Amino acid sequence: MMNYQDMYFNIDHGYLEGLVRGFKSGILKKGDYLNLVQCETLEDLKLHLQSTDYGNFLANEPSPLSVSTIDDKLKEKLVIEFNHLRNHCLEPLATFLDYITYSYMIDNIILLITGTLRQRPISELIPKCHPLGSFEQMEAIHIASTPAELYNAVLVDTPLAPYFMDCISEQDLDELNIEIIRNTLYKAYLEDFHQFCQSLGGATMESMCEALAFEADRRAFIITINSFGTELTKEDRAKLYPRCGKLYPDGLGLLGRADDYDQVRGVADSYAEYKELFDGAGNNVGDKTLEDKFFEHEVKQMKNSFMMQFQFGVFYAYVKLKEQENRNIVWIAECVAQRHRAKIDSYIEIF
Amino acid sequence: MGSLFRSEEMTLCQLFLQSDAAYACVSELGEMGLVQFKDLNPDVNAFQRKFVNEIMRCEEMERKLRYIEKELKKDKLKIPDSDSNPKAPAPKEMIDLEATFEKIESELREVNTNAEALKRNYLELTELKEVLTKTQTFFREYGVGEQGHGHHNVVEDAQHALVPEERVGSVQLGFIAGVIPREKVPAFERMLWFACRGNVFLRQDEIMQALEDPHSGDAIHKSVFIVFFQGEQLKARVRKICEGFRATLYPCPETAQERMDMLRGVTTRLEDLEIVLKQTKDHRYRVLLNAQKEIHNWIIKVKKIKAIYHTLNMCSFEHSRNNLIAECWAPAKVLEEVQAALRHGQEMSGSSVPNILHKMSTKDIPPTYFMTNRFTKVFQSIVHAYGVAGYREVNPALYTIISFPFLFAVMFGDTGHGFIMFLFGLWMVVSEKKLDQKKNDNEIFKMMFGGRYIILLMGLFSLYTGLIYNDIFSKSLNLFGSSWKFNYTQETLDGSFSLQMKPEDIFDDATTGAYPLGLDPVWQASINKITFTNSFKMKLSVIMGVLQMASGVLLSVFNHLHFKHYSFVLVQFVPEILFLLCIFGYLLALIFFKWLTINAHCASCAPSLLIHFINMFLYKYEEPANINGTVPAFHCDNMGPFGNYSQFEMKCTGQTVFYPHQKEIQTALLLVAVLCIPILLLVKPFLLRAQHNAKMQRKAGLGARSHEHLVSSEVLPGQEPGPAESQKTGIELSGLSASEVDISTSVSINGGRGDAVMTMEEEEEGDAEAEFDTGEVFVGQAIHTIEYCLGCVSHTASYLRLWALSLAHAQLSEVLWNMLFRMGLKMDLPYVGSILVFACFGAFAVLTIAVLLVMEGLSAFLHALRLHWVEFQSKFYHGDGYLFDPFNFKEQMDPTLDDQ
Repeated sequence: MMNYQDMYFNIDHGYLEGLVRGFKSGILKKGDYLNLVQCETLEDLKLHLQSTDYGNFLANEPSPLSVSTIDDKLKEKLVIEFNHLRNHCLEPLATFLDYITYSYMIDNIILLITGTLRQRPISELIPKCHPLGSFEQMEAIHIASTPAELYNAVLVDTPLAPYFMDCISEQDLDELNIEIIRNTLYKAYLEDFHQFCQSLGGATMESMCEALAFEADRRAFIITINSFGTELTKEDRAKLYPRCGKLYPDGLGLLGRADDYDQVRGVADSYAEYKELFDGAGNNVGDKTLEDKFFEHEVKQMKNSFMMQFQFGVFYAYVKLKEQENRNIVWIAECVAQRHRAKIDSYIEIF
Repeated sequence: MGSLFRSEEMTLCQLFLQSDAAYACVSELGEMGLVQFKDLNPDVNAFQRKFVNEIMRCEEMERKLRYIEKELKKDKLKIPDSDSNPKAPAPKEMIDLEATFEKIESELREVNTNAEALKRNYLELTELKEVLTKTQTFFREYGVGEQGHGHHNVVEDAQHALVPEERVGSVQLGFIAGVIPREKVPAFERMLWFACRGNVFLRQDEIMQALEDPHSGDAIHKSVFIVFFQGEQLKARVRKICEGFRATLYPCPETAQERMDMLRGVTTRLEDLEIVLKQTKDHRYRVLLNAQKEIHNWIIKVKKIKAIYHTLNMCSFEHSRNNLIAECWAPAKVLEEVQAALRHGQEMSGSSVPNILHKMSTKDIPPTYFMTNRFTKVFQSIVHAYGVAGYREVNPALYTIISFPFLFAVMFGDTGHGFIMFLFGLWMVVSEKKLDQKKNDNEIFKMMFGGRYIILLMGLFSLYTGLIYNDIFSKSLNLFGSSWKFNYTQETLDGSFSLQMKPEDIFDDATTGAYPLGLDPVWQASINKITFTNSFKMKLSVIMGVLQMASGVLLSVFNHLHFKHYSFVLVQFVPEILFLLCIFGYLLALIFFKWLTINAHCASCAPSLLIHFINMFLYKYEEPANINGTVPAFHCDNMGPFGNYSQFEMKCTGQTVFYPHQKEIQTALLLVAVLCIPILLLVKPFLLRAQHNAKMQRKAGLGARSHEHLVSSEVLPGQEPGPAESQKTGIELSGLSASEVDISTSVSINGGRGDAVMTMEEEEEGDAEAEFDTGEVFVGQAIHTIEYCLGCVSHTASYLRLWALSLAHAQLSEVLWNMLFRMGLKMDLPYVGSILVFACFGAFAVLTIAVLLVMEGLSAFLHALRLHWVEFQSKFYHGDGYLFDPFNFKEQMDPTLDDQ
């Protein structure tokens, strides 16, 4: 049966794959970005976006435009497209797409908890949540004051519940613990997603495990780098590394012992693709940051995912690429709006 | 009325528009719809063009109009249809329009915010009312507490559930009442349970009536709930959860008396609010009604303004003279009108400086434009669906008008079906105006309606071919009386199942002659009808096919002559037509020869066309019979009862020759045809190369001087070359080609250094074009040759589809008649029979329409289309042009705004 998977792929998922490949061809090209960075005002930006696949998605917005409206509309468009896919799909693609939304749910939970910790009213926080990751119980999150409560009252009914098991032992919801919760959730999520993709097998496994492995390794690197100078102990830190990447197990062990940036770099040196990223990054003016390098690598990987047929990786790749595109447009829009053109070029080209 | 044979002659014009008159001029041109503007700034971004602000203003207006439209739709007011076509308003009026829209929009928004606030208030009060009534029932539900046998009231229930037995009565329970969307109830309940560890008591009840969402106006369904709990901490928690689930909480007094009072107060306030709401609604309706009257015109106006500015954005702007320069294609014969429009535009704008129209010559290929009317339009579109004719290329549409319906009819030959189709087409043509106005949205009907004239003609031609085939609903008409007269007695007829009618005995040739129109009806009754019609229709198909292909090849002469490729007539047309005629033209000749010479006496020994034709290629000939030392040619007069020889003596078989010296003539024809192939293959490329080389030599001689001059004029950018100097440039360049001269002079009118650069570009283009790739030309010609020669064979065979489809049609309609209708007629049942016949006829009629008319019609249409596109047009038609797409306000006439 496994061997015939590709043969039956189009029966269930062919339409949606075609659709997503069509969506993909609407992603802005190099030429579009070159035009966008020439814009003087946000109105110009709107005018140019009109000539792309975005069409008149801003046509009903009264001037003057603000960057946040653009951001909202961009997100709205992605969400509409994603929901269309989600509403028309069959298993196992449905579960797969749900998995994609989980990461947004984690982000939303963390955003809400941090917000309530800082005494912000919930009505102010809700609009900031990513619409892909919204769930019913989300708005009631502020009743929880300990992780256990959070689990028992809010998360127990959500698909994130199993990921949360490891965090219940934490005592308080303070800044550090929230970060730990976030990373623990992510770790559990990535490992679960990884396992799910492996169970799907075939080309999906190939492309998705690659993507998730990179995501896991990126998190491991970033956690390590960000942990320097905080009160996080090395043992605690090592617990946060997702164990589904290429760094596992040796690289993670080395990372767990790292004390400064150079040691992290040393770890990366043993892995060809990460070495390249660390070599390209620098902190000087004009250099690309490590984060940008990671994004670039992700974009490259996602583009490659479209090279393979009969697999779900394209859906994941599309969401990621679109997210990157939204970041790019918002970045350019910010630069245009603030008349701060010096760094306008540091968007990440997709095609 | 334009000519259909070739497309209109187009001229590239340069318009110098005064910037204050440009708008009015373009508006006039748009109303006229006869010029196609060229984009002179293709490299400039949309937002860097000159009139980008105006376009943005238009978009803003469109947004406002969309908003108004949306509000109109919300109140179920329709945008009225009207034919009014307001002109594009002057730029000054744009401000008025903007102000009007602004006013309406803000008014609407204000009304809407007011209404929303009122509605919100109304919603809250309704909800409160519901809460009060529902809680009242909650508290009273199972009878009031005193009666207490078996019934409980809610408070007791809650107390029972929440407070340990021994402390009953001592604890005061608090409660919160509110309203929550119905779909959130289960999650809300679960969350309450988890968060408060089961220490709350919830009751909920659905509100039956749908409430209105104050913002969107959608119906929402909600539920009333009441939560009992103990202690302040739980209260805070419950409140938080309620907030999280967007539940609205309402104060609910503890005692029944207070609740009643409150309910009364709420009810009166609700009544007051209803009156206010109604007034607001009326006000809103009045505002919308005003907008509704005008919105159709507004939308068209704004769309026109936007289109004008888009067009102006394609012009280049000259700062020094405050001019806009536009380039456009226009049909040569309407240039007068264009000029009139420009003058009119100038008058309208009150500008004193005239606008100039300047003809340019260019190497660009002009667009193809046919002035069609409603009759020719559909035929032109059939041709264009294959490919747009090249500029001034021979247009097959002219011939398609007749040949298309005719070939269709050959396949669809049935007078009855043709008549129905004709009537349908006639109905559409006669009630054209009425149907056109109806704006039917049915896509299939629209398509049919678009092809009404073709349907009319197809029906008419089918009527005719039906008469020729003598076929009407698979029956024959005996209009003139059959020419086959027999004198069988009744006994003979009864005694035998089938009788052979020998033409020698029965066919009445002398007195009546052949049946005057089409097939003799006697064939309808004969067993060998199909054999006979097959032979007839197959020959007919080949005849028509070869004739159509030959006429296609002939048309290519007109193309060669018009494009001044005189040599192509000799090296391309002549071998092509010879090839076709020597092989298939000869076949045609044989067919006619056989029809004319063979009669009933010698039919049994007639030579077979097919075998002859094959043997012609195989070069296989049988020795003719040698009788008594002479070799008599095969001829009917030589045979039979009156001839000199018997069938046996003539050695007559299918291979008997038609005429003496057939072998020599056929060999010669075959040789000519074969010789044509290498000529077609080789001569043309060599000729092209020779022509090219000669041209290059001439150019090399002239090139040096002109280059020198160009460089010198480029070095002096500030200096304007005087007219004399630029004239000289023109003269010196004139050796290259006439068109370049015109450009260099016309450009120099602009002055400055632009002209030198432009001329340089022109020349570079010329060079690039002159690049001659021998290999490519050879390959191209080889492909053409192979395609043509094989095509002649396969296309002739392809025309046999005329016979095949016609056979299929005839057979299908016979099946329908015999298997359905006739069965009904055959039944010999009193009274019931009439019902059966009625039912049978119903089925017969429906199937006739659905299968024979619609499906068969579509299939015949498709095949006719193919025969035209592939078999006919491939002989001469390139179809590599591009359509003339004039700037026309027609698209702006549709009062719908492009939605998201």
